[in-house]
Amino acid sequence: MDARKDTVLKVQDLKVAFHTELGTAEVLHGLDYQLEKGKVLAVVGESGCGKTVHALSLLKILPSGGEITCGHIYFKNKDILSLSSEELRKLRGAKISMIFQDPMTSLNPIRTVGAQLTETVLAHRKTSALRAQATAIRLLKKVGIPNAKERMKEYPFQFSGGQCQRIMIAMALCLHPDILIADEPTTALDVTVQAQILKLIKDLQTQNQMAAVFITHNLSIVADVADEVLVLYGGYCVEKASVEELFSRPLHPYTQGLLCSLVSVRDKQEKLPAIEGYPPAAGQTLSGCPFAPRCPKACAKCHESLPPLFTKNGHEVRCWLREEKA
Amino acid sequence: MSALVEIKNLTKSYRKGGWFAKAQDKTILRKVTISLREHEILGLVGESGCGKTTLAKVILGLEPYQSGSVQVLKQELNKLNKAQFQYLRRDMQVVFQDPYSSLDPRMTVKQILSEPWDIHGLHKDKTIREEKLKELMQAVGLDPAHLHRYPHEFSGGQRQRIAIARALALAPKILVADEPVSALDVSVQAQILNLLKEISRQRGLSVLFISHDFGVARFLCDRIAVMYQGKIVECGPAEKLLKNPQHPYTEALLSAVPLPDPNLQKNREPVPTKYDLSLAESLCPYAARCHYYNVQVCEQPSALTETKEKGHQCACTRLPFQNDKSRYAV
Repeated sequence: MDARKDTVLKVQDLKVAFHTELGTAEVLHGLDYQLEKGKVLAVVGESGCGKTVHALSLLKILPSGGEITCGHIYFKNKDILSLSSEELRKLRGAKISMIFQDPMTSLNPIRTVGAQLTETVLAHRKTSALRAQATAIRLLKKVGIPNAKERMKEYPFQFSGGQCQRIMIAMALCLHPDILIADEPTTALDVTVQAQILKLIKDLQTQNQMAAVFITHNLSIVADVADEVLVLYGGYCVEKASVEELFSRPLHPYTQGLLCSLVSVRDKQEKLPAIEGYPPAAGQTLSGCPFAPRCPKACAKCHESLPPLFTKNGHEVRCWLREEKA
Repeated sequence: MSALVEIKNLTKSYRKGGWFAKAQDKTILRKVTISLREHEILGLVGESGCGKTTLAKVILGLEPYQSGSVQVLKQELNKLNKAQFQYLRRDMQVVFQDPYSSLDPRMTVKQILSEPWDIHGLHKDKTIREEKLKELMQAVGLDPAHLHRYPHEFSGGQRQRIAIARALALAPKILVADEPVSALDVSVQAQILNLLKEISRQRGLSVLFISHDFGVARFLCDRIAVMYQGKIVECGPAEKLLKNPQHPYTEALLSAVPLPDPNLQKNREPVPTKYDLSLAESLCPYAARCHYYNVQVCEQPSALTETKEKGHQCACTRLPFQNDKSRYAV
């Protein structure tokens, strides 16, 4: 199979900056990756590392003040950033759709769930309201909402948090998008509901050969859903590898620290090997490696200059320690 | 070991509606019986809305209760007058979930930490107070030079350290921690968990630790109680409960926790999920979701009873018929 043909999303040197009263702050400093059909890429990072900004820029829906200063985002060889707003509108929701973090605030509280679901279908397809309704009901059933037909007339507050998230998923999937962007889709949910939602996304993703960008701070979820993992720290990609590789052989000290500091349900730990210090604030610029101030292995070079991404067997890592070994 | 907090048959309900709709009582806690022993960390685990926080509020005297008994340091909360209650409050302090909203943005750290002393009229001498403030800051791993800063100048993890310092200011015997790490980043969460463990050991605190995360509970707690719809369904020593969960709900919760290992995760057997509306009114609150439901066994009242393991209790009528180890243990 032709590898290039299967690439649905290609991000090249993506830089995003925010203009504020205090000046311009760059929050993403050049991101590169490719996503193939049917694959799941997990983007992992802590708050303020730029993971949500990255997701929003994929759809060009950055909040005011935010600007993509550099780079390209190719969706099937079309550069999203050069599209007109009309072309973008056709893309959003139909080809690339998104699930946001908080289901309770992402749904419109004064419109029925049915109206919100059919809206997406009617906006993109030339079809009758009745047909759109049928599609919506079918989807609600698919995401496991009982009495779908009756519940179409209900408002978001009449559903639980997990059900609202299912409705968001139904809405995102109703036009069989090529790419699903899920920004912390299960953070607000309980573990049992989380497990159901993750299973649902995985099932739908394999059925429809959909690619997904999964944004999360939870490494356990990454182990569950992802094919490839990209670790973000301070607006830089610090490590990128396949999920098996990353969990068995993490190379960057930050990733190693993160994996060590996870609490485990399987073993009783006496003390957690925590990463000392705190993550950098969004937009903070450092001369060297962003992780150097917290890194137990940092040397003089790390504080002075930013390491490039070293690649070995498809495992990319941004760390001077890997320089000669690369 | 004596119990610092002793709760027996506690039932609490809220009144709902009453303006235009007919007033209705919604039961939040159902016959909760649990005790917090001296020097122990007790974990309370359950889904959102199951009543964990309400139980904590009742223990802290922030919510009234209708029936049952709540004894803190051998004193029945309902029978105390205001002055007695104020005095008892010194011995029980709380750390809340969100350090962004639980610290007053207009107060400096120094003011935040000295407020409990002002209220209770302690350490009035200025030099002693300075000394105590320094000690507190160091105990939670903060720089005493930052006492004059405001909360917004700190990161989430540092703010939670301030909240912990505030709780420790009165040298309490009981600490209630309501999801203190769930709003924090993963790398910072580990620091705060270590700190909580260290401090409670050093100072011999008894901690009620509320969480929805079994991993966190396992790391920190000596005993774990699992709550479902206002009812304690299982309670026991942390290791025993996690190695061999007895209640179907505990099993379901445990099997839903994703493991940070792609190979293990792929080979796990999930607990079948279902929701049977027709069973919603059953005697067992979990019947509608239970993957073992059986009409003959389940349609009778269940109470917390001792399992074969000492100190491990479970409220499930299937219990006497169960003999093998749980398939879903982690």
